[in-house]
Amino acid sequence: MINKHLHLSFALSLLSVWLLSTPLQAGNLQAELVDEQGQPLANAVLTLRSAAGSAAEPGTAIMDQRSQQFAPTVLAVRSGTSVAFPNSDNIRHHVYSFSLAKRFELRLYQGTPSAPVVFDSPGVVVLGCNIHDWMVGYIYVTDDPWFAVSDEHGRVTLDQLPAGSYTASLWHPQAPGMLPQAAGELQLTEAAKQQRFTVAMQAPAAQAAPSAPASAFGDAFKKARDAAQ
Amino acid sequence: MLRNSFQARIAGVLVLLLLVVIGALYGAVQTATNAAVRGQAREQLDVGSLVFQQLLDVRGRQLHDAVQVLAADFGFKDAVASGDTETIRSALANHGARINASAVMMLSLDGNLEISSDRQISGETAERLSTQVMQRQREGVQIFLMPIADKIYLLVQATVSAPLPIARVMMGFQVDDVFAAELRELTHLDLTLLATQTGVADIWISTLQPQQLELLQDNMAELASDAVSLIGAESYLNQTLVLASGDGFEVRALLHKSLSQAQQAFAPLDQNILLIALVALSASLGGALLLARSVSQPVKQLAAVAERVRQGDYLVSLDLRRSDELGRLAMAFKAMQQGIAERERQLAHNALHDPLTGLPNRTLALERLGSAITAGRSTALLYLGIANFRAINESLGPEGGDLALQQLSRRLQAVLRPGDSVARIIGDEFLLLLENTDSDSAIAIADKVQQLLLKPLRVGTHDFALECRIGIAGYPVDGNAPEELLRRATIAMQDAAGMASHLQVYQRGRDDAQQRQIRLIRDLRHAPGKAELLLHYQPKLDIADGQVRQAEALLRWQHPELGMVSPGEFIPLAERTGSIQLLTTWVIEEVMRQLCEWAGRGLHVQVSLNISTEDLLDPQLPGRVSKLLTDYHVSPEQLIFEITESGVMLNPEVALQVLHGLRDCGISLSVDDFGTGYSSLAQLKRMPVQELKIDQSFIRDLDDGSEDSVIVRSTIEMSHSLGLKVVAEGVEFERSLLLLTRWNCDTAQGYLISRPLAAKAFEAWMAQHRHAAASVVHES
Repeated sequence: MINKHLHLSFALSLLSVWLLSTPLQAGNLQAELVDEQGQPLANAVLTLRSAAGSAAEPGTAIMDQRSQQFAPTVLAVRSGTSVAFPNSDNIRHHVYSFSLAKRFELRLYQGTPSAPVVFDSPGVVVLGCNIHDWMVGYIYVTDDPWFAVSDEHGRVTLDQLPAGSYTASLWHPQAPGMLPQAAGELQLTEAAKQQRFTVAMQAPAAQAAPSAPASAFGDAFKKARDAAQ
Repeated sequence: MLRNSFQARIAGVLVLLLLVVIGALYGAVQTATNAAVRGQAREQLDVGSLVFQQLLDVRGRQLHDAVQVLAADFGFKDAVASGDTETIRSALANHGARINASAVMMLSLDGNLEISSDRQISGETAERLSTQVMQRQREGVQIFLMPIADKIYLLVQATVSAPLPIARVMMGFQVDDVFAAELRELTHLDLTLLATQTGVADIWISTLQPQQLELLQDNMAELASDAVSLIGAESYLNQTLVLASGDGFEVRALLHKSLSQAQQAFAPLDQNILLIALVALSASLGGALLLARSVSQPVKQLAAVAERVRQGDYLVSLDLRRSDELGRLAMAFKAMQQGIAERERQLAHNALHDPLTGLPNRTLALERLGSAITAGRSTALLYLGIANFRAINESLGPEGGDLALQQLSRRLQAVLRPGDSVARIIGDEFLLLLENTDSDSAIAIADKVQQLLLKPLRVGTHDFALECRIGIAGYPVDGNAPEELLRRATIAMQDAAGMASHLQVYQRGRDDAQQRQIRLIRDLRHAPGKAELLLHYQPKLDIADGQVRQAEALLRWQHPELGMVSPGEFIPLAERTGSIQLLTTWVIEEVMRQLCEWAGRGLHVQVSLNISTEDLLDPQLPGRVSKLLTDYHVSPEQLIFEITESGVMLNPEVALQVLHGLRDCGISLSVDDFGTGYSSLAQLKRMPVQELKIDQSFIRDLDDGSEDSVIVRSTIEMSHSLGLKVVAEGVEFERSLLLLTRWNCDTAQGYLISRPLAAKAFEAWMAQHRHAAASVVHES
């Protein structure tokens, strides 16, 4: 718990450093991301691109592993960002990715590996743990300067946005083809703006429960036996 | 004969029953075993299908585990992620080889076949495979069967996650003959797998014999599940399973249980039943034959004995020692045989012996006589009758008579010499047969017998002397046939009655006379009916005027063989044998008829006729005569009935009544043969007679001065004084007539006037003599 808080405060401090460096006259966007049913969508990424294009500098990010889960589940980073993969669990993890955007492998380790991984090309990087198959995490690498991940209420807040026109994109792990979706143009003034975005979702695949493999024969045999009675 | 025999029938029934029982038993066993076999087969099929399922599942799970391992392998994931086709292919081959998978494939998440260890898979198959994979994926099924090319595969799929699903790997295990054989090992069931695909030849995998499989292939359409079908020579119970089906393909499994094989297990039972049936049949057949023989043999024996008994052989022995019913029957048979023998002996004895005295009877006596004659031994017959037996019987009663006869027979037996025998012929008549005896010796013995029997017999409290008559006849002197000799001895015995010595030797000729008598007696009864009788009329002369106005009707018998029989012979016979009334009845009517006839021709004669003593005792006579008189229109004055004194004397009351009746009719009565009886004139006076007829014995030799002349003359005078007319019969000489005329006799009858004449002749004589008779009288 203490450890968790420590990380959180560290992340917040990083964020605040980044926020302080933006122009003061900018407005903010409060977006609500929902799925097609209107339900708030967590772990969705909203990115904004502007013609003016002042981009934030790539920095560092952290993909923690806690309770045998990636935390956060979805991490959005600017291309070129170094992401550290600290292991907060007291067991080892073997984090890897075969995604085209970034192939890497962190062989079994504990604690924080010495070198963070740099994600230099945009795209989706799916993270897995070779020894914990259920651990899935996503790093959304984007070139857009502004981006944020929705919280559990589907809310995203982007501050310090200069007034102007923006092109919005949406992404979510269950987005069809795992591809970003264009969300249209957005005019921002200095005033705060509230916007609702709907993310198209892939129909949730019926994920077979990890149980005994089913065969197609039971029914056939049962049928035959019933017929013989 | 044999087919109908008791033996055959028992055996037949027994065998038939046994056959029915065995048949029913066999049928029941067959039904039960068939049901058991079927039930077992079905159970085996059920178990077999479970095992089959398990086998498939286990195999599938093994495969699945292997695929899972493969899919989870980091290196493999790495290879897949690398997209290096050859690397992936080699990895697939490597992992497939680890678990002996026949085929390993990788498909994209949307089901497209991307890499296969088998490079031969056609596009169509790949497409089908994709469809199947996607379908199975939706159904959540990882293990399934599918034909690929010419093989059937058990396919298992797994998703390759890195960590999200990036591909599918699929392993195929070829289901082949080895698999089928393994199943057969486990379940003892035959298995046939059939995969059909459009455009590709059917795939057959079977544990059946090739020939059987061929037959099965031909008759697949007819194969019904859970029904017995014949595949070749063997019958099978089948179960069909559709293991997989999809567009253009189907995989079917057929489980076969051979009933023939299962029934093989019961073959020893059938054989045992057959064996038991055969043994039981032959044993029961043998038993039945033995049993039947044990019954029929004694029955045959009994039948044979019965047949012998029927033939009269009672001595045949019946040796049947048994304690059962047949034994008792044999005992009864034996007793019956003895009883019959005894009774027959008794019957034979009775047939030949007299029950009262135990002496031989007539039959036996004749038999013995016959054998003596055959042997040529001279034999004397002593026929013995008891003269006073009737008196003895009357005084002692029949039982006393029997006792007397028994004593008599004992005495007679005492007289006999060896070789002699005595027999009781009838009643009080006995016959002694004395062999080697001539008639002189016979007389001596007869005398001795008579003397012996004269000694009084004591019956009860009475003493009796037996008076016996003995007739003697002898062989060969008096005949050579037993019956003849016996008859002659009998005649001699009858003749002996008239002898003082009561002993008579047979006189030759006696037998013939008696034969004639017997014949006459017999024929006489029928003579009136056969018109053998006729009447002759002897004229009677009225002495006073020399006229003939009367005649006596005299009966004549013309016997068809013996010729004319004299009245002197047959009248006494008729009187003795009771046929005299027949004759007189006939005579009365014939006279009436004749008188009627003559009256028609103007001849009026008074006819006298003789009526018998029997007639006199018949109160109906006057009535009958009266009716006849009326019928024939005859005047009673034309009739004179001649009666004898003795006839009246027998029963004077009735006789007088009859006589008065006749007299009342107007008929005259005459006393015939006067002088031969003992009647007096005083007695005559009481009778209503008008005439008296002096017997011819007084008239025939009538001579002046003789004793007869006194009697005749005085009789005439006395009669006249009593008012009676007198007729003299037997007048043969002129001098007799002269004397009679002198003594005033009224009528004369005799050969001097005329012999008796037939009716026609008499009629002629009367016509001719009207004058002649008168002249004779006047000449004298």
